[in-house]
Amino acid sequence: MRTLNFANRNLKELLRDPLSYIFCLGFPIIMLIIMSVINKSIPPQANMTIFNIDNLSAGISVFGMTFIMLFTALHISKDRSSAFLIRLYVSPMKPSEFIMGYTLPIILIAVMQCFITYISAFIISIILGSSLSIPNMLISCILLIPSEIMFIGFGILFGSIFNDKSAPALCSIVITLSCLLGGIWLDVDNLSTGMKNLCQAFPFYYAVKTGRMALSGNYNYDDMLKSMIIVFIYMIAIYIISIVTFNLKMQKDQK
Amino acid sequence: MINAIEINNLTKTYGDKTAINNINLYIKEGELFGLLGVNGAGKTTLLKILSCISKADSGKISIYGKDIIKDKSEVKKIINISTQETAVAMNLTVRENLLFIAGIYNSDKKAGIRKADSIIEVLSLSEVADKKAKVLSGGWQRRLSIAMALINEPKILFLDEPTLGLDILARRELWKFISEIKKKTTIILTTHYLEEAEALSDRIAIMVHGDIVISGTSQEIKKTASTENFEEAFIKIAENNI
Repeated sequence: MRTLNFANRNLKELLRDPLSYIFCLGFPIIMLIIMSVINKSIPPQANMTIFNIDNLSAGISVFGMTFIMLFTALHISKDRSSAFLIRLYVSPMKPSEFIMGYTLPIILIAVMQCFITYISAFIISIILGSSLSIPNMLISCILLIPSEIMFIGFGILFGSIFNDKSAPALCSIVITLSCLLGGIWLDVDNLSTGMKNLCQAFPFYYAVKTGRMALSGNYNYDDMLKSMIIVFIYMIAIYIISIVTFNLKMQKDQK
Repeated sequence: MINAIEINNLTKTYGDKTAINNINLYIKEGELFGLLGVNGAGKTTLLKILSCISKADSGKISIYGKDIIKDKSEVKKIINISTQETAVAMNLTVRENLLFIAGIYNSDKKAGIRKADSIIEVLSLSEVADKKAKVLSGGWQRRLSIAMALINEPKILFLDEPTLGLDILARRELWKFISEIKKKTTIILTTHYLEEAEALSDRIAIMVHGDIVISGTSQEIKKTASTENFEEAFIKIAENNI
């Protein structure tokens, strides 16, 4: 009951912040449109498929998640700096209720963001004369949920450690890393072995790959399962680290 | 009158620094108790310990006979705090903020609405009830903050510098507001405004370097310090540890 009540408060706070719409929805859709226009001007001889709508939309979905991470971090760090959390520490709320109360509404927003990005991509694909498969879009949306939880975990972690001034800076490092190493804006598979190995050491590459494979209907099950397992392991690890950090920070704030 | 709070031999240190030095204190039910001291005297630390946010190194505190360590969850149901910061959810309306905190204290929806409506009426928040907290003035935000701390009908309310940063008119308005809630709740108030403590408090304690050097009514404190003026009495006590 308390968890749902806290989740409801967080959902309202986030949905009433205009910046959420600009960064979590507007920006990914604008990037989708801009990159589609750029893709149109790339000659077919260049053999560059990274900006094809099926590749692009899955990449941008993951790109959108990085902003979910940023907003999670900002939301938690603001609750800490405004002493809102102190008020709640005095109440009978338990640590698990804090974590679930933050996570549930943000998962909902992240799923909606992914869904809206895909709907926009679907419309663009029709305009461009190709058409994304609706069942594949739904499957991709579902398979990206562990990645969303992983990014929320990053957000809880940064929001627990840093204040609302420094958390965005740390988040922008992860945003840049996930764009470069995840292969959102470049074709990682065609890079040198060393660079490719580096990209594969991080979960972002596998998050993007899972989304792309599902969206394109390229069900190479071994490859897909491997990507999903790696993202899942990272999700569990980062989420556990974020819970432990939040609890430690909670105890430290109470000293 | 029974004791709402009993503090025995309470000590809290941060490394080498003693924030609370073996203090003993009681606060009676229905009292508005002022806690004064210069910065770093230990007021906020004491308030944090009393409100179960922080733990003492040694000593014992009972709130209505319940030990704040052993019976923490029971104690948490009957206390609340309004911190130095307003600590409200800025994108929620006044009513939504109240309903949210009511829900945190396990009120069902109907009871939450009843409590929120009652507090809005009693504390004259009707004109801003459906406005978002972020558009309210500092004075209204403070009132909302205190109203949120009252929604669980606490037996004890901690007010940590409630008028900090407010102009004189808003502060006087808040004094009336605090006087209203004083009728129903035991209040522990920390403040740097001496005239505020003198006007509102039934009894006052002055803390210096983690010790409570004097406690009593403002009249008793002035008498002990041999001054006519409460501010002079405070300065004399804080500087000389009378």
